[in-house]
Amino acid sequence: MGLEQYKGDMEMCCRCSACKFIPMQKVKGHQYAYVCPSISRYNFHAYSAGGRLNIGAAMLKDGMKYTDKLLDIVYNCQLCGACGVSCNYAMDMEVLEPINEFRIKCVEDKKTHPALDKIIANLKKQGSMIPGAKGKRGAWAAGLKIKDATKEKVDVLYHVGCLTSYDKNLQKLAKATAKILQKAGVNFGIAGDAEMCCGGRAYQMGYPKEFLNQAKKNMAMIKKAGVKTVVTSCADGYQAFKVLYDRFDLKGELKVLHISEYIDKLIRDGKLKPRRKVEMAATYHDPCRLGRLGEPWVHWEGKKIPGDRFVFDPPKPYRRGANGVYEPPRDVLKAIPGLKFTEMTRIKEYSWCCGAGGGVIESNPEFAKWTARERIEEAVSTGAEALVTACPWCEKIFNEAIKESGSSLKVYDIVELVEKAI
Amino acid sequence: MALKKDVYKEFESVVGEENICDDPAIMPAYYSNKFAAVILPGNTAEVQAVVKLCNKHKLVFRPICTGWSGMFPPDIILMDLRRMNHIIEINEKNMYAVVEPYVISSQLQAELFKRGLNFCIKGAGTNCTAMLRGHGHMDQTTSGDDRNHLAIEWVTPEGDIVRSGALGSSDEWFCGDGPGPSIRSILTSAVPPGVTPGVFTKAAVKLYHWPGPSEFPIAGHSPKYVLSEIPANMMARYYSFPSVEKMWQAEIGLGEAEVCYELMGFNAAMVAANITTCNEEDEAMFNRLNKEVQGPGFFVIIAGNSPADFAYKKKVLEKIVEEAGGKSLKTLEDPELEGIIMCQCIRISASIRETFRPGGAFNSIPIMGQRDLTIKWAIGAGEAKKPLIEKGLIVDDGGAFFGWGVEQGHLGKTEIFCKYSPSNPTAKAAVETWQREQNRRAFEERYFASTMGPQDEIGPALCNYSQWWSKVVKALDPNGVSPEGGSLV
Repeated sequence: MGLEQYKGDMEMCCRCSACKFIPMQKVKGHQYAYVCPSISRYNFHAYSAGGRLNIGAAMLKDGMKYTDKLLDIVYNCQLCGACGVSCNYAMDMEVLEPINEFRIKCVEDKKTHPALDKIIANLKKQGSMIPGAKGKRGAWAAGLKIKDATKEKVDVLYHVGCLTSYDKNLQKLAKATAKILQKAGVNFGIAGDAEMCCGGRAYQMGYPKEFLNQAKKNMAMIKKAGVKTVVTSCADGYQAFKVLYDRFDLKGELKVLHISEYIDKLIRDGKLKPRRKVEMAATYHDPCRLGRLGEPWVHWEGKKIPGDRFVFDPPKPYRRGANGVYEPPRDVLKAIPGLKFTEMTRIKEYSWCCGAGGGVIESNPEFAKWTARERIEEAVSTGAEALVTACPWCEKIFNEAIKESGSSLKVYDIVELVEKAI
Repeated sequence: MALKKDVYKEFESVVGEENICDDPAIMPAYYSNKFAAVILPGNTAEVQAVVKLCNKHKLVFRPICTGWSGMFPPDIILMDLRRMNHIIEINEKNMYAVVEPYVISSQLQAELFKRGLNFCIKGAGTNCTAMLRGHGHMDQTTSGDDRNHLAIEWVTPEGDIVRSGALGSSDEWFCGDGPGPSIRSILTSAVPPGVTPGVFTKAAVKLYHWPGPSEFPIAGHSPKYVLSEIPANMMARYYSFPSVEKMWQAEIGLGEAEVCYELMGFNAAMVAANITTCNEEDEAMFNRLNKEVQGPGFFVIIAGNSPADFAYKKKVLEKIVEEAGGKSLKTLEDPELEGIIMCQCIRISASIRETFRPGGAFNSIPIMGQRDLTIKWAIGAGEAKKPLIEKGLIVDDGGAFFGWGVEQGHLGKTEIFCKYSPSNPTAKAAVETWQREQNRRAFEERYFASTMGPQDEIGPALCNYSQWWSKVVKALDPNGVSPEGGSLV
């Protein structure tokens, strides 16, 4: 079906421009009212969700020639889903799904982006999203006495993720996570060198087959290991296991938790006690795929009821971002003694993207950094000294943007602060 | 028709490489026609330079704001004003704000609330430009239309910069009529930016006292944002009446007493749309409310400046409603729903949920005038909708119309929608026929003369205004590069 299945949704777009802004009730002034990085950076309406849907509808109706500009529009989108939240405040229509389908169509039509092709080639060859990564995937765990979940029975599989496993600057997140889980007495393990990419970022890039290939391999490994719970410290990994695997009927009964959810539970259960003071003013950035796009998948099949209204039988449950993971990371931060927590304007379901998603960090790093700088400025405006996130991709792009801009803002993953506090 | 390379370069030298595009890929995002190019000017000087180039090369241009509506001929230069998004000034002392075209109402309103001020939010919604001329939910206290435009900066179709009213003789924006040139008859002929030929690049809008909070206490997640509490000295209610005459009696009484911050003659369908989060909920709520109302009605918000002021307004409201036999809709007395619709009407200006969500498209006939008169016309237009509802061509809203008081009821606005699926050409054709017929009936029965009515008959009946307007436009736009069109919001 592809793009065709969203014909009715795309024709519903009335060009109201709500997709460009945070929900109107949440606008607090002239600043920080925009929510879509792509239209904010490139300005032509075609870069907004509304523009993309209208282009999609035109593609179906009249066919369109692929031009460099069209591909520029397609690939300069983080697929962060903020547009859908703002649209779906008022409208019943799919927004992100047709945008994603358009990208998939481009890949099927061999209109790919060379930088993303390279990433996918590496995924096929090495099983990771990090071209040029050297060393073994599980090398970071050397000497930490972590169980091998493929060989030993564990209650929890910690899926580390490609970036955290291979990036020397981010391996500290894996170590911190392991330390926290050990401190709480969790019977957990990792797959070490046998761990494979979750495939989530391949899906964002427009490569569903490659995603499915990874998903099937991961689920086979998990099944074989007899693991019932997976914890990820990467928002992309979380969304892949929790949402995408479910969408494609691969997840089964597997319980999927983000580390921030798990730490929150450990604190509430009294198994983890943040006692040491971490004196800093910090604000929290909601990763898109932990927040609005981390909302559980809702299986639905139905048909539009003929007639005047855009309604379906059975009623279509739209994923509007209300059920993402928002409070657990905040509760964890608020549980850290000495930490002064502040909020930015654009938060939770209408959070501004870090810039790294949708393959943009690879296909257009300058745009990714521009997007990150916008967020850094917003974080600084709260008076925070630190920007806390819960995804290594966010941390990576924020740090790259800070390095270039000279901002004094510090960036932490939530596990780094918890590690300091326990 | 693509621009010649050298012409393209001329435009590019004005706005920069990043801000001009003639690639066919971007066109469907704007409209179904292909344009010669889309250009994103960043300031008045760039608009002026683009307009002059259009005159030099005899290229037709049209400006656009957030892009919600508009009719565009093919092969034109489309000026997307998106980069002009600054609030130039908020003058608390003289009660005006100066904005560029791409400042949306929500942004300006949020800034104003912090200062105890508000302005007329137009019915198109707070997602549209703050410069928009028109009417909206708070017209009862903030008036509407050209009452709210003070001085305006206008790039004429030939590329001259005209500053109207006080701005023409000073750097002050406080008045549209002077000291300085009042060109209100031209500038307010339609909705800026875009309908009057040329481009409106800045406008001063009139500000009003806001008795409510500096920020609404919003809780929850989209699509169900609720108020954690109803702000102090504020209340929202929906009253239905035994007849149109009784409703009108109450409207007049409330206007005379000047107690309502908002008086919106919503029908049950519009109330249902605003307080629900999806179409299925909307339909169920509409059926529920339909059983609860006793007849036509209106929604009011009262906002007191103090507890005593609030108590007084509430008491007067209840007395006037009681005298007219009005009945409060119990469903809306639930504080959660009361808060939702209060916020919908003030912060969102309703709009999308009640217009586009049900079917995807709507056509409307809006009319200004005395409410008692225009309601009579609207009842007929509502009856004419019913066959379309029965055939399943338009959304069933009971054939209802709506409207509201302006300036405490001195004036009024009445409007009627037909909501339908844009994918259904039969429905679209039927709605357009209904629209034509009802506009014609309005003219023939002497209710009002619409710009969408039969111009060959309306013009002669109104001092040949259309011929005069054509002459004015020709004088302003000798090269014919700036056509009139539909409203651009």
